[in-house]
Amino acid sequence: MLEQLSYKSKGTFLQNVHTIASLTYFAALLLLPLIFTHPFYLLGVFLVGIMAVVVSDSAAECMPFLVMGIWVAVFVMLLNPLIVQHGNTVLIYGPELPVIGRFRISLEAICYGAAMGVRLMTIIIAFALYNAVVHPDKVTAFVSRFAWKSSLVVSLVTRMIPTIARDLCSAREVMQLRGVDFSTGTFRERLKKYSWLMEVLLLSSLEGSLATAEAMQARGFGSGRRSSYHRELVRPRDYFFFLSGITALIIGICAWLKGYAVFAFYPKLDSFAGGSELIWLVVIIFCLIIPLILSWGWKHWPYLRTRI
Amino acid sequence: MALLENQDITYYYPGSTKPSLCNINLKIREGEFLLVVGGSGSGKSSLARLIAGLIPEFYGGRLQGKLFFQGKELRGDERHLLNSHVGIVFQDPEKQLVMTSVEAEIAFGLENLGLPQQEMFRRVAEVMTFLNLTSLKDEFTTNLSGGEKQKVALASVLAMQPRILVLDEPTSQLDPVAAGEFLDLVEYLNKELGYTVVLIEQRLERCYHLADRAVVMEQGEIRYDGSPADAAHWQVKHHFPFIPPVAKFFASLNNAAVPLTVRDGRRELHKYFPDDPSVENPKRSVQLSPVNNKTTAVEAKNLWYTYPGGREVIRGQSLCVREGEFVVILGANAAGKTTLLKLLAGILKPDRGCVHLLGQDTHRLSLTDLGRSVGYLSQNPNDYLLQDTVEDELRFTLNNFQLPDNGICDELLHKLNLYDLRHANPRDLSSGERQRVALASVLVAGPRLLLLDEPTRGLDYRLKAELGGFLREITASGGTVVMVTHDVEFAAEYAGKVVMIFDGMVVCDGPRDVLGDSIFYAPQMARLFRGTAQGVLTVGEGLERMSGGALNVCQSR
Repeated sequence: MLEQLSYKSKGTFLQNVHTIASLTYFAALLLLPLIFTHPFYLLGVFLVGIMAVVVSDSAAECMPFLVMGIWVAVFVMLLNPLIVQHGNTVLIYGPELPVIGRFRISLEAICYGAAMGVRLMTIIIAFALYNAVVHPDKVTAFVSRFAWKSSLVVSLVTRMIPTIARDLCSAREVMQLRGVDFSTGTFRERLKKYSWLMEVLLLSSLEGSLATAEAMQARGFGSGRRSSYHRELVRPRDYFFFLSGITALIIGICAWLKGYAVFAFYPKLDSFAGGSELIWLVVIIFCLIIPLILSWGWKHWPYLRTRI
Repeated sequence: MALLENQDITYYYPGSTKPSLCNINLKIREGEFLLVVGGSGSGKSSLARLIAGLIPEFYGGRLQGKLFFQGKELRGDERHLLNSHVGIVFQDPEKQLVMTSVEAEIAFGLENLGLPQQEMFRRVAEVMTFLNLTSLKDEFTTNLSGGEKQKVALASVLAMQPRILVLDEPTSQLDPVAAGEFLDLVEYLNKELGYTVVLIEQRLERCYHLADRAVVMEQGEIRYDGSPADAAHWQVKHHFPFIPPVAKFFASLNNAAVPLTVRDGRRELHKYFPDDPSVENPKRSVQLSPVNNKTTAVEAKNLWYTYPGGREVIRGQSLCVREGEFVVILGANAAGKTTLLKLLAGILKPDRGCVHLLGQDTHRLSLTDLGRSVGYLSQNPNDYLLQDTVEDELRFTLNNFQLPDNGICDELLHKLNLYDLRHANPRDLSSGERQRVALASVLVAGPRLLLLDEPTRGLDYRLKAELGGFLREITASGGTVVMVTHDVEFAAEYAGKVVMIFDGMVVCDGPRDVLGDSIFYAPQMARLFRGTAQGVLTVGEGLERMSGGALNVCQSR
């Protein structure tokens, strides 16, 4: 899983978009499922997310997150009807339980659980995709223009994760060969054994951080007013990407404010209004899909590649 | 006028009563290549930090004496100015990188200087082009090899356009190929671009000849300051070991000229053998894997291993190590040396084939069970250090295996020169001492097989000799040692058997003499005597030949 956290440059279209443009697009992909409650809208954004994973050649990087997401989503779908006792359309009556009264499973609770599962999956897809296509240094460089200390901390932590993972593996092997058996003993004993491992990691990390701080000072860190290095070019594709993302976001918010993207599950499922609410959805999906079409064209149509 | 001058500098680290630098008087001239040698704790790194302006600004402590830059004395806060004139590259490439991508890393120092965009673009682009890093500009720094990381560290310093380049053991964590490439770059920077270079190094075979001046340090003092050849004579006379083999050999012969490279050494050697040095001795056939009657310590049969990512690292290899043998595994980076060692230790289990450790299949044993008979020393001794004292570190292993002390702790502490440090915190010790503590914490369980992964990395000549002597003692008392290393000089000096591995396959498995015939892994002395005398791998053997053996051989021709 930790390996999947590392961005791998594949030279894909989505990886070659300006940071502001890609951040806008991912903001739309992340925020829209958070504000939408309408199942069709949630499904629509979810399908765009899946398409984006396929088009960006990021299936391998996203798969571990998707597998984890499916389990969590299924868990939410199953748990919601069991816990939430609202909803008028009762499908199953169960036994009388203390505190919550008579146990029952309603159609509304099942539908709400399913919608929440889709929402969760969409958000996980957005994060996984962001991790696979947005270079973290581009983001930290962008953020460093107005918050360089925070961006530096993020950068240092990002570098530290794979190093700590490697050190943990090595320290564990060494300890096992020194007679520490992590698989035996009571919970307390095992906790103690793992605390040794943490101690080694903590001490080594502290020493490492001192060396890093020294190297930073040697390169003039903290010596005066800082400037910010950024070397990103703006191409036509970035405008398309940015406009698609921002338009989808604005239309999505409008649809939500006008109540088209809102759906009431309790006490009784809303009825679907029909065409008028779906037009908004079609426009949002169209906006979100434009960058994916460009991505496909960029890959398969050399002429388009030269133009955008 | 000296570019940088230290006058009577004495420095104490915070809380220390013993000076780490004592009466340092050193002038560094523009365009000079200065080599600083000395043992661990001799004050080399402190000197580097002083030159780079990190002492006392970063470390605190007490500094006495005067510091001049371009003739102007730097007092108090002014020493901070050195940061922009002196660039320093540290030992560990992993710990000096800050940013996640190569390009951002190179720009980091420039951002700190507050340079305008256009200036930063130009400098980053120039440095990346010069160091051939353009293809790696978007690469994650954590994914780079050690050599690439060190190159990026150098690039990020060069981008700041320093007047003096200080390199504090920059190749100690690199394999010989990467180290060679790095030193070639440093030579170019000095000779062609005119950078003033201060190089602190332990592996002197590749850099001793590059220096204009060599400074020998001991206990915080400069003991000798002169030309590398004179420094070699002085060191031999005063029993200092910080000389590469060829220079040591000629200085030991009391030869007036001390050649610093193999090429010059061969010309000098020709004067001793003027008749026909190109005639080879009759070749002794190299016997591969000699069969003897000793018990097998570890036997690997038809080993295959692929990492979870899909990289096949070991390909159908077999290896047999007998009790009492000292085996060295050599090979380039990523050839599969560490993987092979981990397979032999039982840390990794082969996908196909089997490893029998003292007669038992490692597939059937847990790591904890293996720990009683196998001692494994990883590349990083810090993985072993978690207790408050050195003594507790040894007891920790004993307690885990529920073994009685029986005086073994004291015995090992004495043997490894750690007894006086037994109450010290292991994390307060030097790198050489830490490694000895890690070794002791492994040996205390009484393993019959010792597996070491690059134990000579970062050790000076003196510490290497101590380690080599100790490992020889282990094999003499019936123990078995298998060691992965890049250090061919160490292998030539101490190993009984050499295994070379290339791309997951064993390409050579024979007695140490195979090093003499090797193209790349031949030690300096073997290259010096190639075509003159066979079987000379070390300075000792060379001197022995000169005092009789080789002369007789020549006369018999």
